[in-house]
Amino acid sequence: MPDSSSTSRTSWLDPSACDVLVFSTVIKVLLFPAYRSTDFEVHRNWLAITHSLPISKWYYDTTSEWTLDYPPFFAYFEKILSIPASFVDPKIVDLESLNYDSWSVILFQRTTVIITELVLGAALLKFVRSAVDSPTQRIISASLFLHPGFLIIDHIHFQYNGFMFGILLWSILMARNGNKLASGILFAVLLNFKHIYMYLAVNQNFLALANAVIAVFIVSLAPFALMGQIQQLLSRLFPFTRGLNHAYWAPNAWALVTAADRVLLRYAKSTGKELHINMAGVASTSRGLVGDTVFAVLPNVKPLHTFTITIALQSIVLIKLWFHPTYKSFLTALTLCGYSSYLFGWHVHEKAVLLILVPLSLLAAERHAYFRTFVIATVAGVFSLFPLLFTPAESVIEVIYSIVWFALLYIPLSKRVYEFPKSMPYVILDLLEKMYLGGFVFLQIFVASFPVFASWNSSKSDSGDSKNGDLSAMEFLPLMITSVYCAIGMVWGFMRLLFIYLHEDTTYQGQLSTI
Amino acid sequence: MEQSSSKLSTVKEASKPESGLGRRWIRWSHKRGMRNSLIFIIFSACVFLKLCLGLASYSGENTPPMYGDYEAQRHWMEITIHLPTNQWYTYDLQYWGLDYPPLTAYVSWICGSVAHYINPEWVALDSSRGIETTTSKFFMRASVIAFDALIYIPALLIFSRTWLGTRSKRTQDLAFLMLMLHPALLLVDFGHFQYNSIMLGFTIMALNFFSTGHDLLGAVSFVLSLGFKQMALYYAPAIGSYLVAKCVLLGPTDGGRLFLRLGLITLATFILLFLPWIPPFSASPVLMLDPISRIFPFARGLFEDKVANFWCASNVVMKWKKWAAQEILVKAAAALTFIGFLPTVIVTGKAAWDLKVWDKFPVVKAVESNGNSEAEESSASLHTPILPLLPYALLNSSMSFFLFSFQVHEKTILLPIMPLMLLFSGATSDSEVYQWGALGSNVAVFSMWPLLKKDGLALPYFALVLLWNRIIGHNPINVIHTAFPFNSLEHLLSAGVYAAIISLHLLETVITPPTRYPDLYPVLNVLVSTPVFVCLWLWSIKCCIQVSWAITGLPVADHQHKKRPSTATASDVSERQFSVVPKSDRRRAVSLGRAQGKRVRRASTHSAAGSASSTAVTSSSSLLRGNIDSINSLAEASSP
Repeated sequence: MPDSSSTSRTSWLDPSACDVLVFSTVIKVLLFPAYRSTDFEVHRNWLAITHSLPISKWYYDTTSEWTLDYPPFFAYFEKILSIPASFVDPKIVDLESLNYDSWSVILFQRTTVIITELVLGAALLKFVRSAVDSPTQRIISASLFLHPGFLIIDHIHFQYNGFMFGILLWSILMARNGNKLASGILFAVLLNFKHIYMYLAVNQNFLALANAVIAVFIVSLAPFALMGQIQQLLSRLFPFTRGLNHAYWAPNAWALVTAADRVLLRYAKSTGKELHINMAGVASTSRGLVGDTVFAVLPNVKPLHTFTITIALQSIVLIKLWFHPTYKSFLTALTLCGYSSYLFGWHVHEKAVLLILVPLSLLAAERHAYFRTFVIATVAGVFSLFPLLFTPAESVIEVIYSIVWFALLYIPLSKRVYEFPKSMPYVILDLLEKMYLGGFVFLQIFVASFPVFASWNSSKSDSGDSKNGDLSAMEFLPLMITSVYCAIGMVWGFMRLLFIYLHEDTTYQGQLSTI
Repeated sequence: MEQSSSKLSTVKEASKPESGLGRRWIRWSHKRGMRNSLIFIIFSACVFLKLCLGLASYSGENTPPMYGDYEAQRHWMEITIHLPTNQWYTYDLQYWGLDYPPLTAYVSWICGSVAHYINPEWVALDSSRGIETTTSKFFMRASVIAFDALIYIPALLIFSRTWLGTRSKRTQDLAFLMLMLHPALLLVDFGHFQYNSIMLGFTIMALNFFSTGHDLLGAVSFVLSLGFKQMALYYAPAIGSYLVAKCVLLGPTDGGRLFLRLGLITLATFILLFLPWIPPFSASPVLMLDPISRIFPFARGLFEDKVANFWCASNVVMKWKKWAAQEILVKAAAALTFIGFLPTVIVTGKAAWDLKVWDKFPVVKAVESNGNSEAEESSASLHTPILPLLPYALLNSSMSFFLFSFQVHEKTILLPIMPLMLLFSGATSDSEVYQWGALGSNVAVFSMWPLLKKDGLALPYFALVLLWNRIIGHNPINVIHTAFPFNSLEHLLSAGVYAAIISLHLLETVITPPTRYPDLYPVLNVLVSTPVFVCLWLWSIKCCIQVSWAITGLPVADHQHKKRPSTATASDVSERQFSVVPKSDRRRAVSLGRAQGKRVRRASTHSAAGSASSTAVTSSSSLLRGNIDSINSLAEASSP
């Protein structure tokens, strides 16, 4: 039955894109009643702040403990959202209705996430339209739109990453089309939505025109500058009082260092060797939840150190980009910049892993070396997000979803790009990587069964108090092991990508660079 | 055969622009090398969706003191693990007394034992009433998903591999996918909270056994289904008459033996199920009455709440409860139900009688005396020509129970919908079965809307209906758009019903019902749904008759066996169908909807014209194997 409405619809949304949209929307709607982190209340409070307070007080309000700590554009964004919110339910935008969680606010906020994520969908669709290998790009685009990271962080945990990554992808798209000015402007806009994108900034500013970027910053900050509030704003945005590691260690280099410190401490304790032990560090051992990380054995790390390492690594990448300013090189460099910030940054959230995974996805089908890097980083990165959700149903949901998602992505792409390892070292490397990936199955089994074992142990040793003390110390063991195991993959993925970028790429120019 | 049919379907798919998400996705994944992992992916994706659905609220959540179906199921776990069997059907009946047959109780016992092992508080006797912790909720949800994965999903998988055995792998996978994601069962089992998939799974398993000729195992499966929920009784007339008809077909000696075996094994299974209440194991035979009286509650009213059946719909005009006493209504309901499923019994019986070959050709004997290694099971495993009748018979009998019987719940629509969906799973989108299936399924879900809304499942309702229609490639809006000029009566009906449903949903959000008629929307819902169900019931009768005509004797053109006369007599057809089917082929011996609707009509005219088009060959060769829908549409083509 050919029908005028359906044909006109296909002109801007082909059936398979529409399928992805329907399927993802259905899932997201079903996830409405899922667990919500405090970020949900944070965002609701921001709706209230921006709606009921004059702009001069936005960054000063402390009615709720969740003060506004995103850049101005995000505040404007919340201001816009708060207008429909006030019609849906006036209590949503009431400053005093702390921890308001009626169905109306859940419905409203979750819906805004779905709708704003369409920015991402549109950008991804644009990528498909202009791709050289459209069917493969279609898989990658669909995989990004359905990325478990977005599902976990945005649609369960609650944030607006889909929207902001949409802007990032638009910016990348503009860069690809040679429109550097638009790309730079978009990126600056993005920075003013969420400053975490600074992880990528060095790279972007490099390309973009400084004037445009400054203009956007001026637009964003002008109202606050006029009121002389920049100082306050910055203090909200960059709270350096926090520790090196986030509560749950993001799987980056510092997680490995911290773990090494813990191991050394144990070693020192058990052998009684004379090491210089920092007593504050002993106290903070193994308590994955303490904000400030202090090392017991190793020298402490200061923000300055993390900056130096990050900037150093990024400049290596940027020098390369300077000499090979192609789109593909730009994309790899962008990924690497995000990657080094993630690995060596100060107080990195595990959620920031999306900054690596999203641009890396665009490179996934380039060739096998990229694909393998992508697989390792994706598996480790997505796995490292699992601890974000700890309620029983949601933790099963995220695992099954990620498995299905990964299977649907891995099978077609691996067929597409497979290359046989050429020499002995590569064969061994290939095998090791496969073993590492296989290890995640056992890690998941361990993490899932740990609480059961723990409760068995505690019920067995009800009489003996000594053992209980041990158990509470072990409480964070699954988290630590997850973090360390994922960190190995993340660091290895970084080294892999850096190696590919610096060495191999000059001789090999894949499909993307033909654009 | 397999290859040629898959090639055919590729050609067909390529030429068809309008196909659903399901078909597109399966085609894509087959092309991309996921042919073998697809079942695993579909399975995991469905488990994922069910878990997501499980996040929503369930029936009676947070509504003390009685709560709802969820609490009933949890309560049964509690009483089965803490009390001896003789108290299962008598303990505190006012608070969700057990009123399902013993298999439900055993399943509750298994779940309860696991729950007790994990956390005894979830199922502590009495003190756990109304427990609603996150973990206990997750456990309950997981238990439904686990039993679903153990019984219902394998049954569907085997169904797609046996009943659709002659179809391409893609069609089988697609059938599997859309049967798995049917919103009605998803919403009731994983949203509202019940274990219907166990009952339906056992019935589908029985159908699978029938199609492979393992009638005894099929009978056991069906008894298990009955033993899980008495509602499976809705299917009993169809399955009973199928089995009896098969005995008639096989003749006095073989048929008699099969009949005896069936009787014995059915009885034995029942006895096993009720063992704890039968004298050597229970104190007195009177105790036997406890479960029986709980299972069949004749003391309750004619219907409960608002249900889209004949009684409730006609109650709008004639207030039955004022007119007649309870006993008369019970009898009237029984009589109407009987009349409702009578066509099934008559048609099946007549088909079997017409086809009986034992007095003309001793084919079965010949097979056995051939010294075939399979001679032992041959009488049971031979493919039966009346098998194609079975799904329509199931639809007819369950729909007549739903429409006319006593004490029907709105959730019971799941039973008639199951055979309809089985038929639908093999249909192509231009066939009559497809149109009725899509309409019936959507209306079935809609008829449960008031219940689902009350359970707080409004959003999942819309989401899953949207997803399923997208998967099957059905767009109600399009159906309304293209209503004029309509190409068939059911198209017009669909358009009208969809328009009514959509406007009802819209009205409900805008206008609150007047205080005089608080039940305005549920009643309107009933008035929209019931006519569709009545039409489906009539349609099932029509199909039963057509299929029986087709299998008992209509002109059949045959290209593969040119030597045979083009018009086969009844006994001729049946003889061919009785000829030995090689074991490898038996899997494909029955197939749903190999070729349907217009295409088959075309095919049959082709074959009449003597054209050797490949479609015609396939359809006529599948006809040889008793193909259900090609027969159906042949019958359609040849009937005025």
